[in-house]
Amino acid sequence: MSFAAPLWLLALAVVPAAILAYVLARRRPKRYEIRFTAISTLREAVAEAPSWTRHLPAALALGAVAVLAVALARPHVTYRAPVGEASLMLVTDHSGSMAATDVAPSRLAAAVAAANTFINQLPGSVRLGAVGFSSSPDQAQGPVTNHAAARAVINTQSANGGTDTGDALALALQLLQGANPKHPPAAIVLLSDGAANAGPDPVSVSRQAARDRIPIYTVALGTPGGVLPNPDPFGAPQPVPPDPQLMAQIAQVSGARAFNAQSADQLSSIYKRLGSQLGSVARKREITSVFVIAGLVLLVGAAAASVRSSGRFP
Amino acid sequence: VTDTLLAPPLARQGPGPLAPSLIEALDLAVGRLVTRTLPGDRRAAGVGLGTELAQLRPYEAGDDVRHLDAAASARTGSPHVRLHVPERALTTWIVVDLSPSMAFGTARRLKADVAEGAALVFARLAVRRAGSVGLIAFGAGAPRVLPPRGSKPGMVAVRRMLAQGVAPDGRHDPEALADALGRAGRLAGQPGLVVVISDFRDHRSWERPLGSLRVRHSLLAVEIVDPRESQLPAVGHLALVDPETGARLEVNTAKRGLRERFAELEHRRRLAVAGELRRLRVHHTALSTDEEWLVELGRQLR
Repeated sequence: MSFAAPLWLLALAVVPAAILAYVLARRRPKRYEIRFTAISTLREAVAEAPSWTRHLPAALALGAVAVLAVALARPHVTYRAPVGEASLMLVTDHSGSMAATDVAPSRLAAAVAAANTFINQLPGSVRLGAVGFSSSPDQAQGPVTNHAAARAVINTQSANGGTDTGDALALALQLLQGANPKHPPAAIVLLSDGAANAGPDPVSVSRQAARDRIPIYTVALGTPGGVLPNPDPFGAPQPVPPDPQLMAQIAQVSGARAFNAQSADQLSSIYKRLGSQLGSVARKREITSVFVIAGLVLLVGAAAASVRSSGRFP
Repeated sequence: VTDTLLAPPLARQGPGPLAPSLIEALDLAVGRLVTRTLPGDRRAAGVGLGTELAQLRPYEAGDDVRHLDAAASARTGSPHVRLHVPERALTTWIVVDLSPSMAFGTARRLKADVAEGAALVFARLAVRRAGSVGLIAFGAGAPRVLPPRGSKPGMVAVRRMLAQGVAPDGRHDPEALADALGRAGRLAGQPGLVVVISDFRDHRSWERPLGSLRVRHSLLAVEIVDPRESQLPAVGHLALVDPETGARLEVNTAKRGLRERFAELEHRRRLAVAGELRRLRVHHTALSTDEEWLVELGRQLR
């Protein structure tokens, strides 16, 4: 919650002042006090009754004052609205190292499952595209509102080849019409598991993305101990550790966030979060009217309680 | 030595007319009150001439020659003296409450007015038949004591003391009744009648001194009450102040539950006072400010 005119919150200082005045007023002798000799018995009788009801009208009126003071400051709430004109590209690595099984059942299978969850999260108005790459970007689908097309690209990947991250990102930028300065808001989600070993430097592509105002969210998948079986039956297994430093750099340069996933669950939760974050946008809405209505309701309640308990209006 | 000036309460109504016929009727009732079962229980103030013949007996050396009965001596031939029963003079001590809570009344008159009237009636009854009346007024600083005096001077002194009024607000001494009763026990040497006139409200530890008074004296407790003290009216929000302690309380008398609880607690409090007086075998009379208290006093003492 934020305030358009936070200075008005100073009006809340009325509340402690009013409490103080109330306490003092209760201590001061009343103008119309009546001498009564059975005070001690009456005090016992009063003590048996719940005492909070005596202060109910004052408490309600004070609450109304506080709520109305907050209303003066014109409070706003932030809420997430689904974006209408947004494009997303899922750039998924299916190089040979994605066959490693350090993430159950395998890195590629986990990535496909998580990407499907991500697609399910997206509102229908978001246009979605996909790029699958290994030694070169070999599968591509431009951003369309029909998510099934991107889903098909994701689901038909198989692990082989090298890792050409730079070209894949460049293709994704091109598909998102990055060069067009009036392109709709867009973002790229890059999932990869290893160092880029082919094509242009992905960091320079990322700089271009930053100029085009397209953030690249990166997910580094895999554990440092991930290995691939050697095709030579007598060779040692090939280590295929992820490269989180490179991924973090790509994300940072383009103004987005980097994530590390070492298990299918982690990957799934990252994608879920990204899905809700990228598919919607934070908006502010003024809720002054709610506070005004609440203040009026409290005032009416205070008046009713006062009339009920003491037969007076104030 | 007293430290508080008394002042007549603003709403003072006076005790009202004290009808002589009603006081006559009360005389018998009070006489019955002080009569013990055994004759000779109460000592006379001293030997002396009375009016009633006790006996005629032969003269003995040392007898007062003025008591010689001429007729009896002539008939018997030997000197006889005539002896009279001495007067049984009764000393009445009136212990009266002058605390600020007595200046309260919502019906015909104030509690202080009823207390004043009751004290005057008992004083008038006391000075009959050579009796004397003493007064101890408590609740306004140190107790004020009028020593027992007979006849007109006694009546005048009591009347003047009661006419001064009661203590102003702000005096609170829960031990005042106990102190006054203790003082009455020390001052009243001869067995007599002690009348305690108070509202028995907010007083502490008066039971023990009352019990020790009971050993020697006939006791009568006159409780003065006001109807508003036992039943709150439904008049909405009230700001109340205790005249003695100055304690303040705001209550909503529109609540039936509160009124019922108050009535219940007050009923229990009065039952406790009555039970305590019954346990001490003290005659208990309750006079309310909303009735003809003199008639009621006669009815309850009968």
